[in-house]
Amino acid sequence: MTGATALRARPRTGGSAPGVRKRRGVLGRVPVLVWVFLAVPLAVELFWVFWPAFNSFSLSFTSWKGVGPAQPVGFANYERLFADPVFMTALRNNAIWVVGFGGLSVAGGLALAVALNRPGRGISIYRSAIYLPMVVSLAVTGLLWRVMYQPDGPIDAGLGVLGLDAWSRQWLADPDTALYAVLIAAVWRQVGYIMVLYLAGLKGVDPSLEEAAAVDGANAWQRFWRVVMPQLRGVNTVIFAVTVIDSLRTFDIVWAMTRGGPYNMTQLLSTYMFQQGFTLVNLGYGSAIAVVIFVLAVAFIITYLVRQSREEA
Amino acid sequence: MSTSSTGLSRRRFLVGAASIGAVPLLASCVGSGSDAGTPAGGATTLTLQSSIQDTGPKAALQEVVAAYTGQQTTLNSVATEQFRAQLSTYLSSSTPPDVLAWYAGSVANSYAQQGLLLDVSDLWGPGGACANFSPALRALSTSSDGKAIFVPTSYYWWSIFYKKSAFAQWGIEPPTTWDGFIALCDQLKARGIHPLTNGIGSTAWMTSGWFDYLNLRINGATYHRELLAGKHSFEDKQVADVLDQYRRLIPYFHPNQTSWDAQQAVTPMVNNEAAMYLVGAFCTQYFPKEQQDDLDFFSVPTINPGVPTAEEAPTDGFFAAAGSKNPQGAKDLLSYLASAKAQQTYIQKSGSSNMPTSPEVDTTTFSPLVQKGIALLNSTQEITQFFNRDSSDALQATADAALTKFLANPADIPAAQREWQAAAKQVFTS
Repeated sequence: MTGATALRARPRTGGSAPGVRKRRGVLGRVPVLVWVFLAVPLAVELFWVFWPAFNSFSLSFTSWKGVGPAQPVGFANYERLFADPVFMTALRNNAIWVVGFGGLSVAGGLALAVALNRPGRGISIYRSAIYLPMVVSLAVTGLLWRVMYQPDGPIDAGLGVLGLDAWSRQWLADPDTALYAVLIAAVWRQVGYIMVLYLAGLKGVDPSLEEAAAVDGANAWQRFWRVVMPQLRGVNTVIFAVTVIDSLRTFDIVWAMTRGGPYNMTQLLSTYMFQQGFTLVNLGYGSAIAVVIFVLAVAFIITYLVRQSREEA
Repeated sequence: MSTSSTGLSRRRFLVGAASIGAVPLLASCVGSGSDAGTPAGGATTLTLQSSIQDTGPKAALQEVVAAYTGQQTTLNSVATEQFRAQLSTYLSSSTPPDVLAWYAGSVANSYAQQGLLLDVSDLWGPGGACANFSPALRALSTSSDGKAIFVPTSYYWWSIFYKKSAFAQWGIEPPTTWDGFIALCDQLKARGIHPLTNGIGSTAWMTSGWFDYLNLRINGATYHRELLAGKHSFEDKQVADVLDQYRRLIPYFHPNQTSWDAQQAVTPMVNNEAAMYLVGAFCTQYFPKEQQDDLDFFSVPTINPGVPTAEEAPTDGFFAAAGSKNPQGAKDLLSYLASAKAQQTYIQKSGSSNMPTSPEVDTTTFSPLVQKGIALLNSTQEITQFFNRDSSDALQATADAALTKFLANPADIPAAQREWQAAAKQVFTS
């Protein structure tokens, strides 16, 4: 901000020298204090974010047990990844997770936002109630849902009341249901967050456009998709980025509910990385998994942003 | 005074902040970071890092440490999982905790081989605190290069636990043969009682209890130790025999075992809905107070009479870091922890059915259950620790995955063995 102000202030005070020298002159005229204010966060960022990230990259080419010197092993960790059945399960689960978690929480959040985007008595109570799970940490959410899913717990009891005893099972211990059971708990928490983001977006939608479309004979469905949605593009970008990043870094709720079990069937890349890196102290192999997560996240986000900027251009 | 109050200018503050920031920069090459908070050169104080988290034992250790009259000792309790993950970092840091609570066996030995543990041979020499401990404990506490590196302070046994009142009510007796055990399970199942309980949900390692015992009873302790040390393959016929017997037991387990942990598994026994539980003696603290005296146990019956008798008896205790700034103080603290008085206080306050390692502890006041446990271990020919302690935490992870999967899909034993061996190979070669 300070730098931008200084740059914009230049033409009024500066002469009309050629471009290159003009720029150098500008930089020279930025007060030292500004550079200090820029350099301090940069140094902190470099040291606390980029340096560990760089270390993670370099560690992924080694075999290191946390003790003694790290042994360079070249690409062996990456070769091992693609022969590792657990890694493949984790990769597949992550794909299910991105689609399921992203899809359900965005669809649910949008539906709730539209439903609750109207004045009325008690509407704020509904909004707060739906947002409330977000206040609770993911680890606590996990513990809560573990109680819900336990054998003869509330969910099984509820099915019993409905006469659906045959449906009850060991939700978190059955490899067929465990991942989805965790997914539902995660969506339950995320949906309120997405709803709030969409509510904020809907506040910025111009009601007169919708009224005009209604006058022109558009039905509610058309008004929503053709008039409202295009105005939510900015919010959608944010939500897409948040959702993809959130689903790739999901860790705590899975760890709290299943620890990747039964027999690694609910392992995500993040939980498998944690298990390899910090429980088994295979820091080299764990770092290789971390690099894969990083590459996936960056690839997703960059592709989306590029597409987005192309559409806008 | 006046100079110091006016002297803290902004510039000085920034210089100070920058120099603080530079310290980790200088020390942050990969593999040489140090983060322990103990002050360097604190040669008159001691740090004891403990992983003990069960309520009773934790309070008991606090009491024992508070009663220590030597140098001032700080007790840090760290969650077990975190302790396990950080242990190598603790030991290799430049200012490690002086004394650490952990397990005996190959786990301790692997750290000793990296030169991270303090040689405590003088404690095992004549007049030392551990001089009178049994030869088995001495062997267990000695590293592969012949140095004593561990101070065992308590141990416990594994067996099949049951409630005397429940067995009396059902009119049954503890079996003495393997066929008798299977027949008993069939009889109980026919009456709508779950013969066995277990908790393999969040404590998947509990599946290794039955694996260990079946391997000990079918193939013997020598083969078991060698298998866990990587000298045999999990694709051996011997392992197939073990899994074959394990498969026979599957219908007898309470179906909820996959959702429970080791502690929750006690619930059906408390309610007389399940009969027996192969578990360590630590389980007694999971039962309600009024049922604890009702508990009894019998050893897993013989399957192959050709192999020596064996029991699992995991040993807990302490070791000291080789990098301790206060090795003399650390040894003094270890001697105190190994003393009969400290062991007695710890065991009686902790409420779990642990047994002392010091022969000088007066065990006559201990419960009849513990007396029976001592007799069991004194009469057995071979003693093993437990899967993870006889191998490594990494191999335990392969067993957790392989055995929980096998229990869910027991049809294809060779496939289960192939998968387990492939995972185990990664552990032994990485």
